[in-house]
Amino acid sequence: MTLNARAAEHRPRKALVLLANEPRAYRESIAQVFRLLRPNVEVMTAEPNELEDHVLRLAPEMVVFSKATGLVRERVPVWVELYPEYGTRSVVGVGEERSTIEEIQLSDLLSVVDRAERLTH
Amino acid sequence: MTAIEDHTKDGPIRVLLVEDHASFRQALAFMLEREPGFEVAGQVGSLAEARELNGEVLEKVEVAIVDLALPDGDGLDLIEDLSSQPRTMTLVLSASLEPGRFARAVEAGASGVLHKSTPIKDIVEAVRKLRAGEALLSPAEVVEMLRLVGRERQEEHAARQAVERLTPREKEVLQALAEGLESREIAEKLNVTVETERTHMVNILHKLGVHSRLQALVFAARHGVVQIR
Repeated sequence: MTLNARAAEHRPRKALVLLANEPRAYRESIAQVFRLLRPNVEVMTAEPNELEDHVLRLAPEMVVFSKATGLVRERVPVWVELYPEYGTRSVVGVGEERSTIEEIQLSDLLSVVDRAERLTH
Repeated sequence: MTAIEDHTKDGPIRVLLVEDHASFRQALAFMLEREPGFEVAGQVGSLAEARELNGEVLEKVEVAIVDLALPDGDGLDLIEDLSSQPRTMTLVLSASLEPGRFARAVEAGASGVLHKSTPIKDIVEAVRKLRAGEALLSPAEVVEMLRLVGRERQEEHAARQAVERLTPREKEVLQALAEGLESREIAEKLNVTVETERTHMVNILHKLGVHSRLQALVFAARHGVVQIR
């Protein structure tokens, strides 16, 4: 094993934030803001129908989606159900906590990312 | 000369965002501010907020990105207002799946219509094109949209006339249908025989130009004849 590989083994992994919400414009713009303002996390996007597969394979610390699934709620420590049915309310799950946010702001989403990121410490 | 160089020479493209989903609006504003040649002149989340904008701000807006579904009204109304600003072009960015909505936006004066499933880079490019004087819609597309609006208006007029022909009793039958009642249950509720209920239904189908109870129900719901609880 090379020195770099050994070092990589012991380097804490970055928290993975997966966005699989609709519509695409929301998913892409919010993901890009996460990448720019939270360079300490890894950000990926996926189509909504790929969400469960990605959760099983990648075990993200945080997921943003439009429609909740039981698997995602069970397996992902931090999640945001963003504007379900294109409404104005969003739901945030952190562990056992649930909170409903009317008119969620970008700063709220960044705070949730921060909470997910702390899970990898 | 590239589009970016043109914009730098003429100053940044001043954009107004009208979108009630704040996290998306703020993310889009953040991204646009980082794009070379863009400046976000303002961002609002409702018709009321848009109308409160300072006249000086509005005069400088070159491209307004407008959502159609706003909490206090239809974005179409705002498009008409913005069309009166000589240098403002409107780009509709909507999650609606109804072609008629986009067509009405073009009729109201929108220079372009995009669905929110459009990649962000294409939305940014559309704004650049508008500022550069390029059309996002071909004349043929505009004509087709205006024809669609015309057809929908005719259909709405015909539907209104059909609703006006319904008797109060026939409307009661439709409301009972909307409550999930079957023929016998409707007859019991209205204190008529099943035969009378069926006669009412035949008349309703004929007046509405539909072929089944289900179609009659859908028609009635769509045109506000019944309340679905």
